Amino acid sequence: MKLRDLWGRSLARRLVLLAAVWSLLVLVVSGLVQTALFHQASVTRFDDDLYADAQSLFAGSSVDDQGQVVAPPLTDPAATRAYSGTYWEIAEPAGARLHAAVRSRSLWDSELQPPPGGLAALQAVPGKMIYYTTVGPAHEPLRTAAMLATLPGHAAPVIFMTAEDLTPVEASSKRFALETAVSLIVLGVGLILVVLIQVRVGLGPLFALQREVAAVRTGKADRLDGDYPAEVEPLAAELNALVAHDQEVVERQRTHVGNLAHALKTPLSVMLAEAERHPGPLAEVVSRQADAMRDHVDHHLRRARAAARSQAPRERTAVAPVLEELSHALERIFQDRAVTIDWRCPDGLYFQGERQDLLEILGNVLENACKYSTRRVKAEAKPMGSDRMNIVIEDDGPGLPSERRAEVFKRGERLDENEPGSGLGLSIVDELARAYGGGAALSDSTLGGLRVVLDLPRAES
Amino acid sequence: MRILLAEDDPDLSRQLKQALSDADYAVDHAADGEEAHFLGDTEPYDAVILDLGLPKVDGVSVLERWRRDGKQIPVLILTARGSWSEKVAGFDAGADDYLTKPFHTEELLARLRALLRRSAGHAAATLSCGGLRLDPRAARASVNGEPLRLTSLEYRLMHYLMMHQGRVISRTELVEHLYDQDFDRDSNTIEVFVGRVRKKIGPDRIETVRGLGYRLIPLEGEAESA
Repeated sequence: MKLRDLWGRSLARRLVLLAAVWSLLVLVVSGLVQTALFHQASVTRFDDDLYADAQSLFAGSSVDDQGQVVAPPLTDPAATRAYSGTYWEIAEPAGARLHAAVRSRSLWDSELQPPPGGLAALQAVPGKMIYYTTVGPAHEPLRTAAMLATLPGHAAPVIFMTAEDLTPVEASSKRFALETAVSLIVLGVGLILVVLIQVRVGLGPLFALQREVAAVRTGKADRLDGDYPAEVEPLAAELNALVAHDQEVVERQRTHVGNLAHALKTPLSVMLAEAERHPGPLAEVVSRQADAMRDHVDHHLRRARAAARSQAPRERTAVAPVLEELSHALERIFQDRAVTIDWRCPDGLYFQGERQDLLEILGNVLENACKYSTRRVKAEAKPMGSDRMNIVIEDDGPGLPSERRAEVFKRGERLDENEPGSGLGLSIVDELARAYGGGAALSDSTLGGLRVVLDLPRAES
Repeated sequence: MRILLAEDDPDLSRQLKQALSDADYAVDHAADGEEAHFLGDTEPYDAVILDLGLPKVDGVSVLERWRRDGKQIPVLILTARGSWSEKVAGFDAGADDYLTKPFHTEELLARLRALLRRSAGHAAATLSCGGLRLDPRAARASVNGEPLRLTSLEYRLMHYLMMHQGRVISRTELVEHLYDQDFDRDSNTIEVFVGRVRKKIGPDRIETVRGLGYRLIPLEGEAESA
């Protein structure tokens, strides 16, 4: 498995794995070192005892008249029991080997093993104690201390050896190792748990950041407002800058789009006016084409604006003031016909989107309704669940036969060529509403005219 | 009827000025917001055609200033952007009607006529007073069904008097509303025009109120409630 696969794509996993590997390494090494040190200390203490025994053996030994080495009367009862694990021996060199001169009863008729280097090793350091581990007569691990020394009255040097069964030390070392392992495993598990908690807590701000970014994207917030730790703060600041930049770009596009409209429309007005002043076939063509150009410009500019907006519906707009302003404007526009707009909207109903767009949608539908109405236009906004709303606009005009309704949403369709103004109104409404994930539907109104139902996103109040 | 045309595009201004003059309006032109505001502030216009995208001071600001100063001139706004947010801003500032560029000159003239009529409180498209009739759409006047042959200034005088029939109108007011600012004004010429019009419509219809001005008299029982 590659390291990359092991890391996976999770930061938490990386952090936990890294911590686990390091902890495991540290714990294993420290366990081994501790066990080794304990073992060594135990053996050293053991050796000290052996040394003392060997020294007293040496001090108490003498040589009798026949030149035989005589051991001191040792009091340790263990040394008198056969294969008890406590032994001593005074040996004489016999060639390259050792020959036991006197030995403890416990040895029975076996002998203690010479050190790994044999007699030569002892002869190299006379008077110095050598410690080594061998196998005892009862096949027990045997720690042995041996020293070559010269006894007064004995020509050849003699070797004093004491030995003790190492099993208890090994057992206690083993027990120590076991206890250490258990405690280190507990420690390791604890460490991993702490790391897990640390990762959760440490990465917490990232999860919070993600929630805030989502809120910005869905338009519930304008920017990130959370209080972030020093490491995440720059990221949040960058994101805010990005959001601001994004808004600025959208705004700039819109300005460009507006400027383009402005730039094209005045020349078109000039062309139209000039054509009207010089009637003739050319003027007719110019006039017709200029009208078509206006419609195209309007249509595509609005579409571009709708597309730019739907990507970032961050804002929310109160519906009631928009209805009020539009009614005021339209009643003034249609005051010759004394059209009244009767609108109803609950307070605190918000459109999830920009004011300009809501103005555009409602303005076009209401203007259309006023244009065809006799006297009355009705508009009613109502919430549909927590995230949608309907705005129903009706008029008391002649209405529209159902077979002609589909044409309304077609681009540039003008149902009544005699009506002033562009026929684009309703098709733009549908496009804008769709850009917001909604739509417009037409039916018959009980007032006699057309009924337009707009489905639009609602923002939380 | 005297109109202020505030539009910065030279070609469009020239065309509109021409079209308005052809329709027998006295027209002053302002090419930027400052000039428009100044003229609207100092001259008594009957209506203003105001482009929102004026240089120096934009149209909405000009309109807001007029309304803040209590000026009630009817204002028709011209917008190039044609978005509802701009229209609503225009109406909030006090506009009376709007027209989106590009437009047909005919439509502008029709809107302007409607605006003037509304501001004078007339409901019908054709003005009438006794046997006098005046149709601003065709720039034609008649007396007892007989078409009148009027010069441009005579027509303007008739139009203004009929728009404000029954009210005494001073000579100064007539001068201000019949001539544009570049015209060499001489209030004596008003007397000449009144004299000519009297000849064409009958001597008793325009009354001279000494020291005050002129009044178009409705025939008994035919006074239009203005």
